[in-house]
Formats: sequence, structure tokens, C-alpha cells
Amino acid sequence: MSAVVDTHAHGHHDHHGGYGGIMRWITTTNHKDIGTLYLWFSFIMFSVGGLMAVGIRMELFSPGLQVMDPDFFNQLTTMHGLIMVFGAIMPVFVGFANWQIPMMIGAPDMAFARLNNWSFWLLPFAATLLVLSFFMPGGAPGVGWTMYAPLTVQMGIGMDLTIFAVHILGMSSILGSINIITTILNMRAPGMTLMKMPLFVWTWLITAYLLVAAMPVLAGAVTMTLTDRHFGTSFFNAAGGGDPVLYQHVFWFFGHPEVYIIALPGFGVISQVIPAFSRKPLFGYASMVYATSAIAIISFIVWAHHMYTVGMPVTGQLFFMYATMLVAVPTGVKVFNWVATMWKGSLTFETPMLFACGFLFMFTLGGFTGLVLSLVPIDIQVHDTYYVVAHFHYVMVAGALFAAFAGIYFWLPKWTGRMYDETLGKVHFWLTMIFFNVTFFVQHFLGLAGMPRRVPDYPLMFEAWNKISSIGAFGMGLSQLLFLYIVLKALRSGAKAPEKPWEGADSLEWTHLPTPVPYHTFETPPVLK
Amino acid sequence: MSKNAKTALVLASIALASFLGIVAKYWILRG
Repeated sequence: MSAVVDTHAHGHHDHHGGYGGIMRWITTTNHKDIGTLYLWFSFIMFSVGGLMAVGIRMELFSPGLQVMDPDFFNQLTTMHGLIMVFGAIMPVFVGFANWQIPMMIGAPDMAFARLNNWSFWLLPFAATLLVLSFFMPGGAPGVGWTMYAPLTVQMGIGMDLTIFAVHILGMSSILGSINIITTILNMRAPGMTLMKMPLFVWTWLITAYLLVAAMPVLAGAVTMTLTDRHFGTSFFNAAGGGDPVLYQHVFWFFGHPEVYIIALPGFGVISQVIPAFSRKPLFGYASMVYATSAIAIISFIVWAHHMYTVGMPVTGQLFFMYATMLVAVPTGVKVFNWVATMWKGSLTFETPMLFACGFLFMFTLGGFTGLVLSLVPIDIQVHDTYYVVAHFHYVMVAGALFAAFAGIYFWLPKWTGRMYDETLGKVHFWLTMIFFNVTFFVQHFLGLAGMPRRVPDYPLMFEAWNKISSIGAFGMGLSQLLFLYIVLKALRSGAKAPEKPWEGADSLEWTHLPTPVPYHTFETPPVLK
Repeated sequence: MSKNAKTALVLASIALASFLGIVAKYWILRG
């Protein structure tokens, strides 16, 4: 690739379009502005979902009912899950996609800039609906984030708000995905072939396809729930000849690809960070692309491992067990390649790399417990226990959230032209790492001992581990205030970032664009060899 | 029609077919 730097000059005051202040953000069609909006929205939702988690852990601090009634506890677990999955983790990676994809492929913006604006501004309305459901008669739905029938048929009006919110969130995701796929397929700079794209772009291309295929299935599931509730159908209502288990099949046909919709962009971030701080190219680039594609394809044939206990035939259990185990093969390829990239590299451990290493250890642990859960005889024993809660938090928090932190620390200098406080960044990593494990590692023990999930009370024998887990959760929540402080400090008074703060970073935004990146980039496509 | 619009149309059709397909499968075909 050539080293021509796009130093396209722009006046400081006239480059944000026609509007200033709040109208700039409402009307913006610039991918960087929209990326920033996604990232801040995601942080707010993380905070809301995190507060709900603190409420849950407060209740579980001691046996007996402490601070809330069981119904409200169920509402909190439901909304915590929905907000974290749809309002926090997914948008944070769409924020990365908006900022990074055009810059990484040498495009001036996303393919559909106005649609991009609309995709974002749908989100606050959906989030408002979710939160408003708490104030409806009967409160928010207490059905779990999976919204299983027949409970959903029995809930109050809060359920309708949630269904509407899920529809809007799904629409936002589908429109965003169409935009991302079109941008990547049609707007790459000349010379940027598919197999030259940074792995972050590849993982998002595959994720966007997953979203286009899986999200409408969720929309179908909640639409059928809606018609069961209000229009006299009986898709899932056994009283009318429907089948509640059918809902589980339809939901998890969306739900398992959703796990990879959340994880794959995180894999992409890690695949940018590890080579940069190892000062080596990514090991096995092509195999990473194929492994990511394989994970995406396999994710559509493993859904029933979430429902081994519904009474399916042994043949079905065996099929889904072996198919689930198969996921470990491409995932193992990826973990091997990340470690091989680090092997004999000139390693340094700045904050992004620390979070990447934390991701590697913790996500792999979550993957291993996933393998344990893929085994039918074991899964039947620990189904709906805290072992499952521990497993998916290792995947979601250590997988997606650690990757998101790695990405934010990695690209913040490029986005803002300011360095974050490295010492505080490292403190943030270690606090998050320690408190995360204090919170969730002990939940494996609780699950193996038989503590069920989604229950506000428990026998005395579970008290010690629950107290430890709650203390960890409070610590982890407080640690994120430090993250907010680090970002605000960098924005207000951070040291000026050098042109290339990470010497091993080699994608287009580092090699072809100045730091901080101008508001408009690659108006002329870069020349790539 | 631009290349971008064509790509978007194909993808939107896939999404719409998934949505309508899953509802139709259990509604019209009765499971």
C-alpha cells in the first residue's frame, strides 16, 4: 500500500454541515458523528443496564427478600438482559463500524448516509419504550430477556411496549446491516480487495449478514406473540391449540446467531489490537476469515442446545450436541491465531492490549464452559442454573465488553487526537478484570450446587458465594465510573496524540489519515497497491 | 438504479422474506 497521507484541509468551523449544537447531532449524516452517537448511547444504556444489575445483586446479597418484591426482581432481570443485549452491546459495535469501516476501506462515508442517521435515531425511542414499560400497569414484563411463551401472553401492557421496542430495535439493526454490507461490497477503494480488508471489516461483513438473516426471525416471533395477545391467534398459546415450545425454537433460531452477532465484531477488534501491540501481521489471516464464516454458518444449526430439557428426541439432542461442539473448531482456530500472532512478537502491554489479553483468557474460559454445556447429560443437570449465567457473562462481558474497551482505548487517540491517561487505563483494566471474576467465577460454583437463575431468594447454603458475587458486581459497577472519567479527561485535557501512537498499527486509518482524523476523509479514494 | 440501491434492495428482500416466511410457515401452513 502506498503511504500517501490524506491531509485534506478543512476549516474548523464550517466542516460540521449547516447546523450547530444539538441540531448537528440530530441531523448529521456523517459516519463519524453517527459512530460517536452510537458509542455514547451505548454507554448510557450500559449504565442503565448496569444499575439494574446492581439492583439484582443487592437483592441477592442475602437470602430472603431484601429490597424488592419477586415480581420487580423478574422485571429487572428481563430489562437488564434486553437493554444490555439490544441497547448496549450491539450499538457499541455499530458505533465502531460507523467510525471504522469507511476509514478502513478508503470510503468517504457509509453508502446510505441519511438511512444511517435514521438507524441511530430509532434507538432512543426503542430504549424509552423499554424503560417506560416499568411505569405501565403491571410494570415491565418479567418474562426473561428470551420472552418465552406462555408468560408473554399473560403479561400486562408493558409487554406490548417491549414487543414494539424489539421491533424498532430490529428494524434499526437490519437497516444498519444493509448499510454496512452495501458500503463494504460497493465502496472499497480501488485495490482494496476482499482479502486485503482488515479483519474488523470482515467480521462486520459477516455479522451484518447474520443480522439480515436472523433479526427478521425475532421480529416474526414477537409479532406472533403480539397476535396471540391481541388478535385471537394461538401460535404459542396451548389453550388455543398452539405450542409454547414452538416459540423457543423460533426465538433461539434467532438467539444463537445473536450470540455471534455480539461476539464477531469483538473478534474483529481483537484482531486489530493484538497484531498492533505484537508488531507482527495477524497470523493466518485467510484462516481467520474462513473461521469467522464457519462460525456464522454453524450458528444457524445449533439453536436447540438452549432447550435440551423441553423433551426433544435423543436423535435431536445428539445432532445439536455434536453441531454445538463443532463451533469449537473454528473458534479454536481463531484463538490459536491470536496466540500465534503474539508468539515471538515484540509485545507491549498498553491498555488496549491488556483488554485484548483479558478477552483472550476470559472468552476462552466462557467458550470452554460452553462446551461443557453442549453436553446433553451435563446441560440437563445445570439447565437454568447460575452455571449458565456465569457461562454467558464470560462470553458477553469478557468477550464483547472487554473487546469494546480494547477498541475504545485503541482508537480514541485517532478519533479525538488526544491520549487517554495510560496509568488510569491500566487501573481500569485491572479493576474490571478482578471484579468481573469475583462476580462471575463464583457463579459457576453456585450453578453446580444447584442454585436456579431468575429467583430472588435462595437457601442459606448459597449465601457465601452470593455475597462474594454481589461485592464483585458493586466493584465492577464503580470501576466503570473510572472509565467515564478517563474518557472525559482525555477529551478535555488529554495530551496531544502523536500521528501514530501504536507503531504496529497498519490499517488505512493509521497509515493514510492524520491524527485526529478530519471530519471528512477519503473524499478522493486512496491509492492502494 | 444505482449499484448501492440494487444491493440494498436484495438485502431488504432477504430480510422481508425471512420475516414473512417465519410467520407464514406457522400461520398458513399450520406448523
